[in-house]
Amino acid sequence: MISPIVYVALATILFFLGGAGFLFRRNVLVSLMSIEIMLNATNLALVAFNRLHTDSHTGQMLTFFVIAVAAAEVAVGLAIVISFFRIKRSVRTDEADLLRN
Amino acid sequence: MFATYGPMFLLLTVAALIALLFYTGATVLGPKNPTPDKMKPYECGSESSGGNHLKLSVKFYLTAILFVVFDIEAVFIYPWAVHFKTLGWTGLISMFSFLAVVIVALVYCVKKGALEWEK
Amino acid sequence: MNLFFALSPFLTLALGALLLMVAEAAAAGNGRGEKVRPGLALGAALTCFASCAAAAGVWFYGVERIEGLDVLQPWLIIDRFTLFFAGLLALGGGLASLLAGGYLPEHQIERGEFYALLLFSTLGALILAAAGDVLTLFLGLETMSLGVYALTAFRRASPRSAEAALKYFLLGSFAAALLLFGFALLYGATGHTDLAGLGQAVKTIASGALSGQAAGPTTLGAAAGPLVLFGFILVLAGLVFKVSAVPFHMWTPDAYEGAPTPATSFMAVAVKAGAFAVLLRVLLVCFGDKQSTSWANGWPAVIAWIAVLTMTVANLVAGRQESAKRMLAYSSIAHAGYLLVGVVATSRDGTAGTSGILFYLLGYTVATIGAFGGLILAGHRGAEAVSFEDLAGLGRRHPAAALPFALFLLSLAGVPPTAGFFGKWFILKAAMEGGFSVLTVVAFLNSVLGAYYYLKVLVYLYMREPGAGAPIATPMKSGYVNVALAVSAFFVVLIGLDPSRSLSVATRAAASLFGG
Repeated sequence: MISPIVYVALATILFFLGGAGFLFRRNVLVSLMSIEIMLNATNLALVAFNRLHTDSHTGQMLTFFVIAVAAAEVAVGLAIVISFFRIKRSVRTDEADLLRN
Repeated sequence: MFATYGPMFLLLTVAALIALLFYTGATVLGPKNPTPDKMKPYECGSESSGGNHLKLSVKFYLTAILFVVFDIEAVFIYPWAVHFKTLGWTGLISMFSFLAVVIVALVYCVKKGALEWEK
Repeated sequence: MNLFFALSPFLTLALGALLLMVAEAAAAGNGRGEKVRPGLALGAALTCFASCAAAAGVWFYGVERIEGLDVLQPWLIIDRFTLFFAGLLALGGGLASLLAGGYLPEHQIERGEFYALLLFSTLGALILAAAGDVLTLFLGLETMSLGVYALTAFRRASPRSAEAALKYFLLGSFAAALLLFGFALLYGATGHTDLAGLGQAVKTIASGALSGQAAGPTTLGAAAGPLVLFGFILVLAGLVFKVSAVPFHMWTPDAYEGAPTPATSFMAVAVKAGAFAVLLRVLLVCFGDKQSTSWANGWPAVIAWIAVLTMTVANLVAGRQESAKRMLAYSSIAHAGYLLVGVVATSRDGTAGTSGILFYLLGYTVATIGAFGGLILAGHRGAEAVSFEDLAGLGRRHPAAALPFALFLLSLAGVPPTAGFFGKWFILKAAMEGGFSVLTVVAFLNSVLGAYYYLKVLVYLYMREPGAGAPIATPMKSGYVNVALAVSAFFVVLIGLDPSRSLSVATRAAASLFGG
């Protein structure tokens, strides 16, 4: 059996990959995907940690809710991206430059 | 580690071997009779037209997203169904109120015309 | 039955939101036009006020007398702290929907979704304030945020609105992911997702680290300490983002400026109050042990630095704005800074600091709604008042529209005897008595500095005339906005004239957080 720590390590790596993708890429869709990767890394961490705390299944249960919320979040996010694209004809975040000091 | 995942690796190897076997077998053994028409990218039907990058209508997005959102709600029904007996009336009432909210959302989608494909 | 009574603030909002959603869809199904439906704003406002009244009802009945609330443990905690926030958030939501009832038809963006989204968002904020577990915390946070993202994007034809929503959404979800991963690590280290259990476990781990032995309750052993620390940093980053404090404030001015003004007022009021409720709960319940609340090893020093930076940066930048709406956005960041000073104070005397924060939020809520309402009232169709120039001379031409605006700005600036003054007073007093004298002085200097840009608006209102050829703003007419302004003005004056009554309510609410 592989130790849960390995999964936690993988989750951490995924989380930082997602974070880096969010911070360094300028495409809105890539940013959305990066956020999804971060949330999925969280799910992985929760499920893996659940192996350490087997007296209840809180981690597993929380994962269900995170999945559901992430789906709703993407629905709203894509709607916003589409309304942005309709006006700007672009999905790049550096096109979002109207609001400045 | 191998004891746990050994069968899986075995399965993967066998699957890869079989795929390789069929592929090479068809190339080596099959009869070949190439003609110019057959060598075209789209052999059957009419000539291809337009670019290969197809712009999808926003309608696809809307339907797909609605599907995903409603589909994910099923996640909560499975654990409840598995423990249907132990959860008893409390579980039943909770699940019914949850489903009632989901149905309200569905009614809202229908009323708003989000599910009408053609308009 | 008891349970339904205790949950009535939540259930009222949930049922009202669902009904409003269906009613709006049914009405839209026939006409398909962008016709004006004044009933929706009224319905939304009444739902919120009913929820507010329900919270008050449970409060006066005595939440301690209601039995059977253990069923909700640990998901929702119904105590006086929660009820205070329920009332406050519902009041904010109700006033914001009144503002929307005037603003949306005037600017021809009246679509019924606004009210349903607003109500769901308010419900999310209520759940957030009541959350006693990571699960409900996350659900509440996301329910609130998703609604607000959609509200920000509400002006579909406006590039600014789309851009603001995009920025807000991306950064907001990023922050939520940070928060969640932080909680996942805390769960890993402690095995708890309920905040109270988390607090106990953190205490054990912290005392274990002090005595030099790894006394983590899990098989993780020595790894538990760093895991808790790392998790705490991520959680704090997520929460600091939600209260829009420096260095995670960059989204605030953009989102506030691009959103329709009623949505902006809702964001400034409800999102901020909800985020502070959860920040207080997380810091005081999860990280309320001696080690974590000490200046040398805990969060107070971190929060103090964030508070100082937030106040100073926001006040300096706010003074340079040309848009009054953007100025109000920076002012809301500055107010987050003052509130964080109160959070630092809670590390010494929990009840005093928390009651100061609650009182401040009360005054801040009504004054902010009022200020944005004043801004809404100053413009009309096709000519929204945004910049300072738009407001020039309004006080002389339309004194009735300018007077409440001036009152709310004075309250935000903290001029006695308004609600805002006493809010600052109680927070600074708590910080001073907690021994954070340098922080208190910095906060005081900042509030003096902050008064400058509020007074600048007053100067434009009463002492300037619009430039030659500039469009002359004429106020819009709307019963809804007038009612919202009247209610806000009533509260600002009432709290200012009789602060002791509000403070005693805030103190009882704060005491319940510490089991009092």
